[in-house]
This record gives sequence, C-alpha cells and structure tokens, in this order.
Amino acid sequence: MKKICLTATAFLLALFAHGQSPFRGLTPAQQQIAWSQAAIQTNPDKAQPYNDLALGYIRRARETGDNSYLNQAEAALKDSAKRVPGNLEGEKAHAMILLGHDQFVEALQFSRKLNQKTPDDILTYGFIADAATALGDYAEAEQATQWMLDLREGNIPGLLRAARLRVIYGDTDGALDFYSQAYQQIPPTQTEDQAWTLTQMAEIQLSTGHLDEADSLLRSALQKFPGYYLTLEAAARVETARHHYSQALDLLRQRDDGSVSLSSLYFLALTLDRAGDSTAASAYKGFELKALNATNEAVNANRQLVLYYLGRGNKPAEALRIAEQEVSRRHDVFTLDAHAWALCANSRYGDAKKQIDPVLALGIRDAAIFYHAGAIAERLDDYADAVRYLNQSLELNPESEVAVEAHDALAKAIAASAMASNKR
Amino acid sequence: MTKKIAILLFALVLAPGALPAQNETTDALIKSLAIKVKMYPGDYKAYAGLGAAYLQKGRETGDSADYELAKAALSRSLDLMSNDPAAAFAMTQMAAACMAEHQFDQAYIWAQKALAVGSGDPSPWAIAGDALADMGDYQNAADAYSMLKTVYGSEDEQQAILYQRDSRMSYLRLVAGDAQGAIQLMQGAVQTATAMHMPAENIAWSDYQLGEEYFQTGDIAHAEQAYLAALRLYPGYYRALAGLAKVRSSAGNYRAAAALYDKAIAAVPYPEYAAALGDVYRAIGDSNKAQKEFDLVEFIGHLSGINKQIHNRELALFYADHGIKLDQAVVLARRELEVRHDVYTWDVLAWALFTNGESKEAAAAMSNALSHGTKDAQLFFHAGMIYADLDDSLQARAFLQQALAINPHFHPIYAETARQTLANLSTKTGSSPIQEAANAR
Repeated sequence: MKKICLTATAFLLALFAHGQSPFRGLTPAQQQIAWSQAAIQTNPDKAQPYNDLALGYIRRARETGDNSYLNQAEAALKDSAKRVPGNLEGEKAHAMILLGHDQFVEALQFSRKLNQKTPDDILTYGFIADAATALGDYAEAEQATQWMLDLREGNIPGLLRAARLRVIYGDTDGALDFYSQAYQQIPPTQTEDQAWTLTQMAEIQLSTGHLDEADSLLRSALQKFPGYYLTLEAAARVETARHHYSQALDLLRQRDDGSVSLSSLYFLALTLDRAGDSTAASAYKGFELKALNATNEAVNANRQLVLYYLGRGNKPAEALRIAEQEVSRRHDVFTLDAHAWALCANSRYGDAKKQIDPVLALGIRDAAIFYHAGAIAERLDDYADAVRYLNQSLELNPESEVAVEAHDALAKAIAASAMASNKR
Repeated sequence: MTKKIAILLFALVLAPGALPAQNETTDALIKSLAIKVKMYPGDYKAYAGLGAAYLQKGRETGDSADYELAKAALSRSLDLMSNDPAAAFAMTQMAAACMAEHQFDQAYIWAQKALAVGSGDPSPWAIAGDALADMGDYQNAADAYSMLKTVYGSEDEQQAILYQRDSRMSYLRLVAGDAQGAIQLMQGAVQTATAMHMPAENIAWSDYQLGEEYFQTGDIAHAEQAYLAALRLYPGYYRALAGLAKVRSSAGNYRAAAALYDKAIAAVPYPEYAAALGDVYRAIGDSNKAQKEFDLVEFIGHLSGINKQIHNRELALFYADHGIKLDQAVVLARRELEVRHDVYTWDVLAWALFTNGESKEAAAAMSNALSHGTKDAQLFFHAGMIYADLDDSLQARAFLQQALAINPHFHPIYAETARQTLANLSTKTGSSPIQEAANAR
C-alpha cells in the first residue's frame, strides 16, 4: 500500500511551497487562489499573479486529489506566458503540472532544461528528484536532493525529498527525523502541508508495524486538515492492519466522498474482500474495468492491476503483460517488485530474482517486498534466503497485508529446508 | 513607534545575506545594485538586495519614500522568483517594508509567505511576531517569537536567531509588566550581541533598547549607562542620543537635553524627537524655539501620504499633549486603532478622548491599554488624570502615585502636573484635571 503513496509523492512533494493569505475559512490552496485572483485584478498585465493562481490550483489538486484543477492551472499558465513568454516561475509551475499528470519522463527532461538555465534554483532540483524517484533513477534523485540541501541547509522541500529517499534506502529512522525537522518548520497556517507531512510519517510507522504511533499521527493530521483524503486512506490502512474492517470501510467511503482514484477503488475492493463483504467481487470488477481502460495512460493503476491479477483476479499471464508494459516506463522499486512477483507467478523464478535483487540491494525495508523475495528464493530452492527474507518481512511488520501469506511461506520454507538437509 | 520599528528593522540586518559589511555605505550599495539590475534585469537576487538596501536607507534617514522604493525592487524580485526557498529573503524584506509603513496585516502575510516557502531560516517568525504584537495579539506574538530557533547554520547564525528571540521576548515582558524579566532578557541579548561581534549598530541598538527598559522602570542611572554604552560603540547613534536627552531632561538639565535632541533630529527627523525638543524648550521658557519644533512635528507628519500613515499615533499624542487640534487627535488615534491594537495605541486614544472631555470613553480605552499589566509611567499618568476627571479619586490617586513611583521625572512637564493633581486630590481643591492638563500646556 505504501507503493500508492509513494507514486503520488512525486507530485505531492513538488507542491510543497508557497504562501497563503488571510481569507478565513478557506483552505490554504483556496486562500492562494483568492489572493492571486485579487492580485490579477490589481495587476492584470503582470505574469506573476497568474503563476500564483496556477500554483493555487496545483495545491488544490493536492488538497482534494482532483486532478481537474491541473487543467485550470494550465490555463492560468497560458495567461502568464502571454504576458511574459518563458518566465521562470511559469515554467516551474508547468513542471509541477507534468508531475501531477505522472508524465515523469517529460517532467524530468523539462526540469533538467530548467536546471541548466537556472542552476541555483532549489525547487528545480526538487522536480528532478521527484521525476527521477518516480522513474526509479535513485542516483539522480539523490544527487538532486543533495544539491537542494547544499544550496540552503534545512530547507523544507529538500528535507522532504531526502526523507523519501531514506525510506527507499531503508533508513526509516532517518526518514522520520527529516520529516520531523520539516514538520517543525511548517507555519501553522499551512495546514495541508502539516497534514501531508504527518501522514507521510504515519505511513512509515504503519510500514514498520507501529500502528498506535501511526494512528496518533493520523489523528493529528486530520485535526490540522479535516477530511484530508490521503490521511483518511492511511487511517483505513491502519484499521485494516488492526482487522477493523468496518472502520476501514467507513474511512474509505469518507475518502471517496471527494475525488475517487483508481488506487483507492482497488483498496476499497481489497478491504471489502477482507471484510468478507459480498460486494467485493463487483468492486474488484469495477476497478478492473476502469484500470484496464487506463493502462496506456500516464495516470494509471497498472501496479494495482498486476497485484489484482496475481491475486483474486487470477490472471497471471495478463499480470505479467501489464507489469512488462509498466516496467518499460519506469524502474522504481515498487514497479520492479510487481514485475518480479508477476514473473514468479508465471514460473520464471530466475528472471524474478534478477528483478527483485536490485530492489533489495537499495536497502529498502518493506514487508511485501521481503515476502516476495522470500517466496521467489523458496521457488529457487534457496531456503536460507527464503527463511531470511520471510523472517524479515514478519519482523518488520507482523501486521502487514502479506503477514498471513508470509507465515505460510515461512513454514513451507522451513519444512523444505529441513527435508533438503535430511536428503543430504 | 520608534521602539517597534527598531526591533523589526534589526531583523533585516540579521537576515541571511541581508546587507553587506557596514563600512560599505548604503548609498554606495544602492548605486552599485541599481547598476547591476540595469545590466542584469533578470537577477532576482540583485533586486532583493536593492530592496533591502532601500529599506536600510529608510531606516537611516526616516524618509518613507525609501520604503516605497524598497517595495518596488522587492516586488520585481518576487516577479522573477517567488516559488522557491530562495524567495524567502525578498518576502521577509517585503514583510519588513510593510511593517515600516505600519501595514501590519500585510507584514504578517508576507512573513507567513516567507515561512511557507520553507527556506529553513526561521527569521520571518520575528516579523510575524512584531506584526502580531503591534496588532495587540501578544500571546500569538510570543508563540511566533518562540519559533525563533534553529539547528541549521553555524553556531553564530544559531546565536543570532536566539538573539532575535530574546530581544523581542524582552519587549513582550515589558508590556506584560515584568520589567525585571524584560531587563534580564535584554541584558542577555546585549551580551550575545557583544560576544558574537555583531555589527556596532546592532550592539548599540541592543544597548539603547536596554536603556529604554531601564528608563521605563525609573532606573535613570542604569538607563544613562546603557545609552552611553550605545554611543561609545556607535557614535552619533540617534536613538541613543534621544534616550540620553530624556535622561538629561528628567534631571532638569534642559540645555544638554536640547543639544542631544538637536543632534538626533539632524540624523533622523522623527516627529516624536521634535515634540520632545519643543517640550524641553518650553521647560526652559523659550516659547519661540518650542513653537518652531512643534511646527516641525506637523511638517514631518504631513510630509507624505505614507508619513501620515506612519505617524498617526505620534501626531495624535502630540496634539493631545499640546492642546491643539484636539478633535483631530481623536480622529488620528482612531485611525491608528484600525490597524494597531497594542497598549500604546489604546493609551493615545484614551488620552486624546480625555483632552476632548470624553473621560468616560477615555476610561474604557484606558482599561484596554492597562489590560496587559504594563507598568509605564505615561500610561499610569494618563489613567490617573482620566479617573480624576471622573471623580474617582481613589483610582486617580493610585494611578498617579504609580506613575511618579516608577519615574518621578517621566516627562519634563507632565511629571509636575501629576504631582499637582495628586496634591489637589488630597486636598480635594483646585481646578479640574482637564484644566490641569491644559494649564500644563
């Protein structure tokens, strides 16, 4: 499930900037939109108020999960470009929109060009880091993030990106430290920024089985920014881990009161299934149809679709086809993991190992990835690795979504290992 | 006003990369940056630097036109770069420019914007706190100041942030009536500034501020030491000159006081300095010179639209103190109250209302001025006179006694008025307090 969050993170981090105005009762993004519209009235010939308006809409997309705001942002940028063609702030906002649309290759190319023009611009490095992370080029992401922190020590956008990379590299304590440093600097007026950061911290706690800590962080996040869809989704995951399925379903329905995403549809179906709800099958079907329609789109749910076909959907060959399609676009840890798992399900164990080994080499600590690695090793009769990975999965998070399967696989691996020893 | 402006502008000097070495004159800096932006019109840093330099110029001269030039340059910088942590500097400068023009709500917004871009520098909290304090929201100001801490940067940079916090917290303590706590914090701030080898003007400002706190508590000897320390460090420092003039005036040494005020005005013609000098001349008995200074007060106050905005409170107090344009005094005080709700604005409104014979309304305003527990001789004097006019002799006596206990020489003219009114209250004879105040003029 962390995969979903980290997919979205690339775009979400890109938004972590910019101010607000004193319009009470409005969210920070709505305030920025109102502020910018007022500034446009005062200075209709200037480009910057249109850039600010675009940023307001981009922020609103993050607040709501509704990407249609990005179209309004794009329109505002056109107005900006009419006034000052090629202005830097407008181009930076354009990079953010590309990230918002999951057009990572285009975003990376565009941001690199911007970076050549203005090599001291901190956020441009951030956009490079976002796109590179989403595409799985962690070396470039790390280099760009380091530039951010070198250019201005302790800047919030830099800390947030560094935290995300620490998660990838398996340093969850370090990631929490960076998130915490960033959080302490966020002014209280930036409620959505605060909630976003707390939710990221909660995701880490959840991924390491610290459910109470995660729950506490998410409660704080919802106090800061009530009804925040990202927080509700994470809270549903906590309740699922606690086997409180009805509470999880309540939270997911609240989450879907706003904008529904393909990944949230999959999560809903999965939770209905775990709850033993009779509507689970139709929920899966609904997700499958929509996800299949989007397989060739930039914004898709291909990884969720792969996992669905490897599970309840029971179409391993189709899962592999989609995984291969996705892996041709990006090589991030979660796409590689899904591909490896699909290869394994299609009895291509050696190829599966080749896919998952580089993921593990990064140091990432993720219960599902460890489980997949263990299962693949078991198929290859490498029982020592199998037992090690499966134990890691269970030690890391005894309440993970793959815990039951990991327990079964571990028992099988231990038994197989014993049999192999006896034969010797 | 002077006190608050000083606090906020000090932040500019400490802001990272704000200003170059002090030996480089501000005029020269403006000239070189103006050339730079002409050569490189897309250089947001140069525009931000130019804005900061104009702000510094405004601080040095008191000419509000410089603030407008500062804002224009900063606005240009933000047109070029606003969605980046690097924009925090220009945003912070913009907040400071708004503070200088008494646009407190705008200053607060810009400070918040500067924080929102996430530069890692907590300095904008200082201006956010200053704006809140001027808007009378002392609790949130304290919360804002408490955010002035950082784990980033060199030890000196971290100390500089703590200095900003402590010097500001000191002011809040003073407003809350904890003079001892305020002085302790400011003494610590002076030591920090000295130990860090901050620029001379910055250390001098700290000494001056300490002097003000001592003066407000009636510790004239220590106030004098602090002002002199500021002048030793930074000769000709106008704030310290004016502070020392107050000390001389309170000791009855009016000629020395006049000379010091003259020097301060020559450096920066603040209307409150001219008004104080006029009062000193009156105390000497030189009504011609006094009138010249009083004319200067009005001239400065009306020099530009922005000046009217900046000096509302000083003009209101001046009119009320000197029995001229009394209805205008109330108008100005009310106008100031629209943007500023701190204890001193409530006090000036109360005093203006009292001089207009509106003592009941004045008492209501005065209760707001005193609601935070501020122990200031001027506030207590005004409160005493108001309650005396309302025939509440018990309250009136208590306030006037407090005023004189804090500082028997708090004002060259009104200290005597306080004594006289107190005597009249004791014997229950004599003219009305409003008449007493009028007589004093």
